[in-house]
Amino acid sequence: MLDFLFGQLVATHATFDVVTLSDRTTQALAEDPWLAAGYALLGLAGVGGFLSLLGMALIYVERKVAAHFQCRLGPMRVGWHGMLQSVADAIKLLLKEDIIPDRADRVLFLIAPVFSIIATTLGLILIPMSPSLQVVDLNIGVIFISAVSSFGVLGILLAGWSSNNKWSLLGAMRAGAQFISYEISVTLSLLVVTLFAGSLQLSEIVQSQQDGWWIWRGHIVGLVAFFVFLIASTAELNRPPFDLPEAESELTGGFHTEYSGLRFSFFFLAEFINMFIASALAATLFLGGWMPFHIGGLHTFNGLMDLIPPGLWFAGKTTFIIFLIMWVRWTFPRLRVDQLMRLEWKFLLPVGFINLFAAATLVITKLYFFPW
Amino acid sequence: MDITLNPADLTHTIAFYTLALTSIVAALIVVTAKRIFRAAVALAVVLICGAGFYILLNYDFIAGVQLLVYVGGIVILIVFAVMLTSSLESIEEPPSLGRKALGLFSSLAFLATAVIAFSETKFPLSSISAEQPKDVAKAVGRKLLDYGAGGYVLPFEVISLLLLASVIGAIVVARNPKRKNEGSAT
Repeated sequence: MLDFLFGQLVATHATFDVVTLSDRTTQALAEDPWLAAGYALLGLAGVGGFLSLLGMALIYVERKVAAHFQCRLGPMRVGWHGMLQSVADAIKLLLKEDIIPDRADRVLFLIAPVFSIIATTLGLILIPMSPSLQVVDLNIGVIFISAVSSFGVLGILLAGWSSNNKWSLLGAMRAGAQFISYEISVTLSLLVVTLFAGSLQLSEIVQSQQDGWWIWRGHIVGLVAFFVFLIASTAELNRPPFDLPEAESELTGGFHTEYSGLRFSFFFLAEFINMFIASALAATLFLGGWMPFHIGGLHTFNGLMDLIPPGLWFAGKTTFIIFLIMWVRWTFPRLRVDQLMRLEWKFLLPVGFINLFAAATLVITKLYFFPW
Repeated sequence: MDITLNPADLTHTIAFYTLALTSIVAALIVVTAKRIFRAAVALAVVLICGAGFYILLNYDFIAGVQLLVYVGGIVILIVFAVMLTSSLESIEEPPSLGRKALGLFSSLAFLATAVIAFSETKFPLSSISAEQPKDVAKAVGRKLLDYGAGGYVLPFEVISLLLLASVIGAIVVARNPKRKNEGSAT
C-alpha cells in the first residue's frame, strides 16, 4: 500500500516500474482466473465510480470557480460551503421524467448518450495517474485516445439528428464541423510530443520526461505545442469560448435541447470528464504526468523531488490545467462561427505544421535541453 | 478433438464470436435500413468491430488507425453529408427491380470470388500464439520509409501526392469564383 502511494524512493534517479491493472489481469489469468476476474471487476467498478464522483466534483468546482470569478459565493446551502450541491443535483436529475420527443428517431435518440459516455470511459482508462494506477497501457495510447474521442462527437451528431429539432441539428452540425477542424491541431501537437519521446505509449512518454518535462526541454517548440493543444482541445470539448454547439442564447441547448433526466446527465457527465481527460493528457504529454519535477544531472534535487509521490504530482498538474480551462471559460466571450473557423484554418493549423517541422529538426539535431 | 480450456484462449474465442456476430448483424442493418442515417451508424459499428479483429490479432496500431480514419473521419463525414442533404423524415424509396437484380448479381459474384479465394489459399498460421508482433507502429513506419528491397517508400509517396492533389482539388471546387472580381464589376 505504501509502495502504491509513494512509488520507489531512490536517491539518484528514481526508476518507476509501470504495472497496469490489465497487466495484473493478464498475469493472473494464467494461474488464477478468479483473481483475474476480480481485477477486471475492480477495474470496471473503479472506472465507473471515478467517472461519477469526478463528474460531480468537477461540476461543483466549476460552479465555485465561476462564482468567485464573478465575486459571488456560488452554492452555499447544501452541506458545508455547498459541498453536497452536486449530490442533490444528481438525485434531482435521476428523478426527472425521461422525455422522448414524439417524432424523434427513437433508436438513435436512445443510443446517442451511450455513445458519448462510452467514448469518455474508453479515454479515461488509458490515463496514467501513477506508476501503479493505470487501467490499460496500450502501446498506441496517443492514437487510441484521439480515435475514441471521435466516438464522443458521433454521439453528439446522433443526438442532434435524432431529436428532430432545428436547434439540435444546428448545434450538432456546429459540433461536427468544430471537431473535424480542431482535431487536426490536436493531432499535430500530439505528434510533436510523440517525436520527442519516440513512443506512442503514454507510460513511456511519461518515462521519457525523466530529465525534464517536454514543455521546457523542448523549449519554444514544446511551449507552442502545449498552447496549441490547450486551445484546440478546449474547442474540441465544446467549452466556452468555443461552446457554439450548445450556445444557449442562440440554440436554447444545442444538441441536447430535447434531452432530460438521466440521458441529459450522460452528456453533462461526458463533457466534464472529457475536460478531465484533456487536462490529464496535457499534463501527461507536456508536464510529465506523474513524473516528479526533475532537472537532468542534479541528483540531489531530483531525489528530494521524488519524495513527493507520483500520484500527487499528477493530481496537482491536472488540477492546474483544469483551473486554466475554467479560467478561460469565465474570461473570454464566445466566438462567432466564422471566427472559430478562421482561428483554426488560418492560424492554428499553419502554426501546428511549422511547429511539427521545428520539432523534427530539434529531434534530429538534439538541440533540446539535456539531450542524454 | 481434444478441447483444453485455457482461459486466455477461451476469452479470445468468446471475443471473436461476439465481434463476428455483431459485425454481421450491423452489416445487414447497413444494407437494409430504410433511413440512411441509421445505415451510417451501423457502418460505424461494422468498422469498430473490424478494429476489434485487429486487436485480437495483436495489431493494435492498425486498429487505432482504423478507428481514427474510418470512424473518426469517414463515418463522421458521411453523417455530416446526410445532415446537410436530407431530413429525419425522409425515408429511402425501395429500389427498382432492375437495381435489385443488379445488386443481387454483383453481391453473388463477390461472394463467389471470396469463397473461391479463401478455399484456394492455404493459411500457414492457424494458431493464435504462433507469432506476436511486438511494436507494429515502429515496424510499419520503417517499412513505409524503407527504399531498399521490400520497402514501400514509392507507394507511400505516390499516395501522399494523390492526397495533396485531392486537397488542392477540394479547395478549387469549394472556392467561390465570384470572390475574384468582387468590387470591380457589380
